[in-house]
Amino acid sequence: MENFPILAIMTLFMGAFINSLAGRRSYKARCAIVFTTMAISLILVLAMVPSVMGGGEIVCYWMGGWAPEADWAYGIGLEVDALSLFFGLIVTIAVMISGVYSFTYMKHDDSQVNFYTLFLMLAGSVLGLVLSGDLFNIFVMVEIMTFTAVALTAFRNDTEGALEGAFKYLVVGSLGSMSILVGTILIYACLHTLNLAQIAQMAIHARNPVMVIAFGFLFVGFCTKAFMFPFQPLAADAHAVAPASISMMISGVLTKCGVYGLIRLVYVLFQNIGQTHVQYLVTGMGCVTMFICVTMAFNQHNFKRLLAFHSISQVGYVVTALGLGTALGLSAGLYHAINHTLFKGLLFLVAGAVQHQTGTLDLDELGGLSKKMPRTTALFLIGAASISGIPPFNGFASKWMIYQAAFSKAVNTDNFFYLLVCGVALITSVLTLASFVKVAQSAFFGQCSVLCRDAEDCEKGMLVPMSVLAVLCVVLGLIPDQFGTLFLKPAAGAAMDPGVYISAMLRGADATVMPAIYGYVGAWNPVFFIVLLLIVTVGVTIYSVSAPLRRPEPLAEGDVEDEHVLPENAKYEPFFSGEESVHSHVGGSDLFWGFKENWKKYFSFWHDWHSGIVNDYELYGVVFLAAALIYCMLFV
Amino acid sequence: MTFIQTILNILLLPGLAFTLIASIWLAGVDRVLVARMQRRVGPSLLQPLYDVLKCLGKETIIPRKANEKVFLLAPVVGLASVLVTAMFLPVGGVSALKVNSDMVVILYLLTLASVTLIVGASASGSPFAGVGLSREMVAMISYELPLVLVMLTVGRVCGKGLATFSLSTVTAYQAANGPLLLNPVLWPAAIAMLFVIPCEVGQHPFDIDEAETEICEGVLAEYSGRPLAQFKMMHNVKMYVMSGLFCAMFLNISTGFILADILIYCVACTLVTFVSMSVPHAVTARFRVEQVFKFYWTVVTGCAALSLILVWIGL
Repeated sequence: MENFPILAIMTLFMGAFINSLAGRRSYKARCAIVFTTMAISLILVLAMVPSVMGGGEIVCYWMGGWAPEADWAYGIGLEVDALSLFFGLIVTIAVMISGVYSFTYMKHDDSQVNFYTLFLMLAGSVLGLVLSGDLFNIFVMVEIMTFTAVALTAFRNDTEGALEGAFKYLVVGSLGSMSILVGTILIYACLHTLNLAQIAQMAIHARNPVMVIAFGFLFVGFCTKAFMFPFQPLAADAHAVAPASISMMISGVLTKCGVYGLIRLVYVLFQNIGQTHVQYLVTGMGCVTMFICVTMAFNQHNFKRLLAFHSISQVGYVVTALGLGTALGLSAGLYHAINHTLFKGLLFLVAGAVQHQTGTLDLDELGGLSKKMPRTTALFLIGAASISGIPPFNGFASKWMIYQAAFSKAVNTDNFFYLLVCGVALITSVLTLASFVKVAQSAFFGQCSVLCRDAEDCEKGMLVPMSVLAVLCVVLGLIPDQFGTLFLKPAAGAAMDPGVYISAMLRGADATVMPAIYGYVGAWNPVFFIVLLLIVTVGVTIYSVSAPLRRPEPLAEGDVEDEHVLPENAKYEPFFSGEESVHSHVGGSDLFWGFKENWKKYFSFWHDWHSGIVNDYELYGVVFLAAALIYCMLFV
Repeated sequence: MTFIQTILNILLLPGLAFTLIASIWLAGVDRVLVARMQRRVGPSLLQPLYDVLKCLGKETIIPRKANEKVFLLAPVVGLASVLVTAMFLPVGGVSALKVNSDMVVILYLLTLASVTLIVGASASGSPFAGVGLSREMVAMISYELPLVLVMLTVGRVCGKGLATFSLSTVTAYQAANGPLLLNPVLWPAAIAMLFVIPCEVGQHPFDIDEAETEICEGVLAEYSGRPLAQFKMMHNVKMYVMSGLFCAMFLNISTGFILADILIYCVACTLVTFVSMSVPHAVTARFRVEQVFKFYWTVVTGCAALSLILVWIGL
């Protein structure tokens, strides 16, 4: 059992090397190697679930047998508690689905060996990060993760902007890596140890300015890895050009590493989430991120850029929830984290399928896909309903938990700030819905555009992974109680009770912990299912007695449906701008004129802010770092 | 016994039958009142019912550009979701379904109803519907914020120090302490709620998504026959649901006799319909899209926020 974590990580890295040696021969060999390694690692992680999640056991492994000597950890350790395993599960499941999808999706690209080698290294590094019990090891894994992700972003380097997106990611991402490294160095200088458990044990007694600065650096570093504001332009640029399966990895897995780092940082390492000012910092970051990113997503007309901004917006939800510092908040955050991986992965894969079949991602050029790609449309609708928080899908369940967590926090502390958080979360949800309505209307419904005339549903190899994600979306939305007891409660409990984490690693060292504030509150009422059932029955009854329909007559021989090519932005031109000669500043892809008109200044400010110049982005990052450090020095 | 009672509750009194009768009544009264205010004779009281029945008997035409399944399924889900919403409204202190957080459930089911309208319009493939749905979406963004704020305010007042999202707690509080409308601190919230009602329902000054004269019924442009009847009925039921929600939140008067309570509830609903929907309908012209948005995010949200702040600082 204690070998499982290292085996799960090593399998992926070994798979990468074996693949680069033997994978050149044939497509089948490559797929076999990649699939086997992913499956082994998934099984190893799953095998730890019963004892770690159910039994509360913590799996420790010391590399090379360097167990702690006299309560001092010298060696590199892996430590898997329920929190690590929760994220390990997210990682391995997402890797599995993304990998299987790639088999078909990447079939026509060249140098696929390199792709899968990098892919497996990315997977291995991410898994290593979440299972690691050593701060420097985390930094190493972050580096491998960033560089493989950069390489994979630029993988289709013949597409416009691929190298540019990757370069921005590389430059600004290294600011994050640098922050994590500096934080690690400062902690090592203060405490002379790199072991997470030992740091957690000692940090609570070592409250000095250097440790506060270290906290600030680590916080900013993990925020960068989660693409929190002001790093969201990187995600948008990278997602827009990366292959869809890699977009899924970046949004579903890499951002989760940042989230995992934040949870470890504030709940376990520094145990300072109980402080009001840390809560303000984390929750405030989450709120700002989710709101700004959702309004940015509103204006995109590239399918994947839109999804990228939404992805960061949803990560904002997760961070907001975990910043509340309550058991309900953390559980809600974890729940939303896994849901986000599922529905966002699904949406990115759908976008990939659309690109694969039509060759474009521009919402202005797409149209009427629902008749050509019915299955993909159905999958898209499930994903869109999930992310917009429409019952009964998983997004509703976790968002509802987040509202409840924020609201009860506001009531218990009598603090108006959290009420504001609740309001921002609700508005963000409506705006999310609005922009997915835009995607549905532009790409899937409406008139069939020229590019989409010959599109058809994609192959099974792509449909099956997407369907698995869609099924998981529905299932997780239907069993929030059971999922909460089985996974969220142990995972949140592990984060809330660092004493167990410390004593498992250091064998009986005295563990001073913050008082346990853990109490999982059931946030769901099963009566709701009766309601759902009722909706369905009422619906079916009304539906089944429907009158006979008159369908359109089939087109006569030689008649073609709407042949004429629409000029750019012409879809809604007549309705927004009146006469053709009148200048219209509203783009065709913008459906929400009334909203945009009122927020003109806001939107043009952010439009200029996203300059696309890497120097600017780096500057925002540095300013943010400075601001975070000042905040930490003043308040934490 | 309780099971049978629940079934009866769902099917008859606070449930389906009552909802349908009440919504036809409110829609009819609204039309008659508007006509009288405009010095017209107006239709008969049962005109909404005749409209729906007429549509039910007509042929359903499916446009060539439409996605048939979504086009037909959307109105069904929409009607079902508003009917289920009505189950949560306490009529005379009794509601057909109870959950501990029914205000959020109502909020979400109402959103679902609007979403079905949007998705149905989107699936019809008509550009008129496309413009209509974009307006509906803007309207939704407009009223959602004040609605949430009003709910938070009422929940805070009735939660006794904590807060509640439960309508039954809200009505119980009012049964003990008198209707919330008597509390001057909540007047701005009540005004905000009165403005939310017509926009949520899509009544005249705020019916930007249907605007017959500009975009040919907008979202409903391609609908005919049975699906159109379902959407029309959804509109009527929404009228009742929103009026009922206002009554449950602000105007719950309890005498102790169930029949009297129900009668008072019906009168209150009619009054709310008159004040919030008929009067604005009769005296104003249709708003423009960006005016609606601006109005709701400044005036209405301001009212709701004012109440919330007053309640929060303990007045």
